[in-house]
Amino acid sequence: MSDAEKSPDIVEAHDLPVPYIKRLRDYYLTLGYGNPYHWVHYSHVPFCKLQQPLSESRVALVTTAAPLKPGAGDQGPGAAYNAAAKFYKVYSARSDEEQFLGISHIGYDRKYSTAEDINSYFPLKAMQNAAKNGRIGELSPRYYGTPTNRSQATTIEQDCVELLALLRKDEANAAVLTAN
Amino acid sequence: MSLAARHLEENGIPTVILGSAKDIVEHCGVPRFVFSDFPLGNSAGKPNDPLSQAETLELAFKLLEAAPGSRTTVQSPQRWSEDTEWKLDFQNIDRVPEEEIRRLRTEFDKIKQVGQKVRSGTK
Repeated sequence: MSDAEKSPDIVEAHDLPVPYIKRLRDYYLTLGYGNPYHWVHYSHVPFCKLQQPLSESRVALVTTAAPLKPGAGDQGPGAAYNAAAKFYKVYSARSDEEQFLGISHIGYDRKYSTAEDINSYFPLKAMQNAAKNGRIGELSPRYYGTPTNRSQATTIEQDCVELLALLRKDEANAAVLTAN
Repeated sequence: MSLAARHLEENGIPTVILGSAKDIVEHCGVPRFVFSDFPLGNSAGKPNDPLSQAETLELAFKLLEAAPGSRTTVQSPQRWSEDTEWKLDFQNIDRVPEEEIRRLRTEFDKIKQVGQKVRSGTK
């Protein structure tokens, strides 16, 4: 095919989803860390259907973003990677109140992104709008924060258990989880 | 986040993940996944763009309603920008000058120390 015939929808060869697993592995190995992170892979993936229409469902919002931690340095837009802002326990907070949540403790793309708009990584406002206009039945009374622990055992045995207990207590019928 | 989605789903709560690391989420295996091909940190839509954010969330709602089974991924049709350089840049060691590597190692050692200190203080 000549360039003249090339469809405008055909993209450059590198314009694929970023291969993060390989990138991170190569990056840390080259820096001299000899114990690359092992990304878990399962043969079975659970699935359950929504038991009632979405317009009658109570939907929970789950995030890896962190509440502002006093004294832990810059956690706002454009902050450098800030390990002091990390948290290691599941938390929850009222979903009808606005408050600052940051992602300075997460390795997001700081060159092309600044985390200047909380709504680009924590869609509380969009969820509130969805509840107002009837797209969902209601928003769960709290939103839930879950840590990004390196230990998968800690995530599974501690964080996941605590998260489930909170959602059950709040009688959530479905959950939207925002990764970062 | 993938592990959390799996755990909730196993216990009867349908889930959908909004994310931008397609290989990582799909490698684990999750019930429903809205993939936005954006730089990390924008899994809920473009910054300062409420329409982009609402459309991203709507894809999540549609998946909750209509995914036929587990491992259902839908890719958002939104494009981050015409310039795709960000895809080549992110933590790409091939683009890091050799003299930078030692500095990055020292910097990351410090980050790890801080993280360990915070974790110890949590327990």
